[in-house]
Amino acid sequence: MEATKYRCNLDILSRPDGSVLFCEGKTTVIAGLYGPVEVKIQKAHIDKATVDCHYRPKSGLPGVEDRLYESFIRNTCETSLVAALFPRSAVLIMLQEMQNDKQLISCAVNAACMACLSSGIDMKFMFGAVTAFLTKDEELVLTPPIIDKDIKALFVIVFESTEGRILACHTEGCFSKEQFNQAVSICEAQCINVFKFFKQTLLDNK
Amino acid sequence: MSNIRKTIVSNCEKTFLLKNLAEFNRLDGRAFDEFRKVEIEFGSDWGCCFVSLGKTKVIAQVSCEIQQPKSSRPGEGILNLNVELNPIAAPHFEADRQSNEQVQLNRLLEKCLKDSKAIDLESLCIKNNEKVWAIRVDINVLNHEGNILDCASIAALAALAHFRRPDVTCDGEEFVIHSIKQKDPIPMVIHHYPVCITYSVFNSGLYILADPTLLEENVADAFLSIGLNAYKELCGLHLGGKADLSPEIIIQTANKAAARASSVVQQIKDAIEQNNEIRREQKDGFCRLANKRDPVELVEELSVYLDQWSTKKKKNKRKSKEPKDEQIEQEVKEPDITADIKPLVAGTAVLVPKENDDGDAIKVWDTSESEDDAVEFVELPHPKVETVDIADTDSEEEAVIVLNADQKTKKRKKRLT
Repeated sequence: MEATKYRCNLDILSRPDGSVLFCEGKTTVIAGLYGPVEVKIQKAHIDKATVDCHYRPKSGLPGVEDRLYESFIRNTCETSLVAALFPRSAVLIMLQEMQNDKQLISCAVNAACMACLSSGIDMKFMFGAVTAFLTKDEELVLTPPIIDKDIKALFVIVFESTEGRILACHTEGCFSKEQFNQAVSICEAQCINVFKFFKQTLLDNK
Repeated sequence: MSNIRKTIVSNCEKTFLLKNLAEFNRLDGRAFDEFRKVEIEFGSDWGCCFVSLGKTKVIAQVSCEIQQPKSSRPGEGILNLNVELNPIAAPHFEADRQSNEQVQLNRLLEKCLKDSKAIDLESLCIKNNEKVWAIRVDINVLNHEGNILDCASIAALAALAHFRRPDVTCDGEEFVIHSIKQKDPIPMVIHHYPVCITYSVFNSGLYILADPTLLEENVADAFLSIGLNAYKELCGLHLGGKADLSPEIIIQTANKAAARASSVVQQIKDAIEQNNEIRREQKDGFCRLANKRDPVELVEELSVYLDQWSTKKKKNKRKSKEPKDEQIEQEVKEPDITADIKPLVAGTAVLVPKENDDGDAIKVWDTSESEDDAVEFVELPHPKVETVDIADTDSEEEAVIVLNADQKTKKRKKRLT
């Protein structure tokens, strides 16, 4: 099985506190993070920072599906960031789709993590996502099939770096329980590579 | 949603910038009519491009769908431009809300690309009064470091020129849209390539800066945006803000912009050609961006500039040490500046302070001192005062008369440039 190639360019934007251009295979996402910053009074929490996420598709206005990705990434980031350190403030995470080759969600999650790391905001742990595809031949693969119709189901699983627990999970399509468990295990194995890549990039950018 | 207020420009930043302009310096070391570097990268999808103008970054994507045409124009396709100011570009931009800035940008781009009839809309018609292609250009601003308009107009044009729509055939009743794999997609018909070129106006036209940065944009009195194509045809003109500019200045600036427009259009065409060649071999698209490392120059630039600033100060002190009358001491600064103008016209302003940094400038002063010192110094300041007069009165004749009275041909040359 061919390994997914990860590439990234830190601090590609000058305005956000942390930013990254992240490539997972051919999928590309730009992420930027501002934080902690001022927050609207009605949105402020007295005990922790409000984590907000904006996802922009590259064409058209954001639809229901994009809102779903947004909340998925926000929830992941919220668990990872130490929000209690910044009460009455906000952390904004912005994501911009650049190129989609079916691994968009996992790429966006990884980009969000890289943006957090590059901004230097406090985190409890890193998080990394892996997409697995179930082809119509009932085969689990990590590289996206070329033809859309070949995909029977899709799994996006987000892990944390300390104990390898699952932070979030997104699936599309039909699959059996066994297939899901199998997908989790191959994603877990691949996620180690993602964390390795994160660490290597940070060391290279020192 | 965020509620971050716009960053306010402080008074010291403002005066620093204006003071530097008076010495013909820009904070990033560019000459007044120098533009930042344009970079164009195409994605793997048709009609997707990432453009950076200096640190300002924009991504544009063209998409198309079949629609019913407008009843007023039954035989023409539809072109929509949509600039989106995302919070990623600057924290005070709000998502999903139209701001005044956004509406203005949209309209200016529309004026430049749509109203100039650059895109052939008739070729987008499938069946008269029933089905036409609606082309939509989404421009997402990623990083706001000034002059979004130029960057967005380059991105929109490059994306449109790169875009290909799927072919449609009709067998009597049924319309069939062929996917890109079935039939070769069709490129857009573009009559001419118009781009926007923006200038910032300070002190009612005394200083006109090409391609303003964010700080320059905020400090400027007004902005002049000129839409031009490669044939030097005007496709839109907008003067925003408050400035009383004379028509001559606008014409002069438009002429300068014309040269820039043709070079930008050439760059767009080259980039598309280059992309078509790369496309045959690999389809990685934006992944190339990840491997590219921008040279780290942001910090250096500023420190270089600040170095110049300090040497300038030192120089003045040295001159004041020279034995001169008290009145002249103040004016010594000014001849120094007039001497600076010459190299400025020829090239960048950066070189100027460096050249007469230590040795040269002082040597010059020393020789002049020994030969006919007092006369030289008294005379020089006069024309400098007159330069201010020109800007105030807006009449060249008056100034020329004054000059002739002074009989200083040397100074007149400078004014003409």
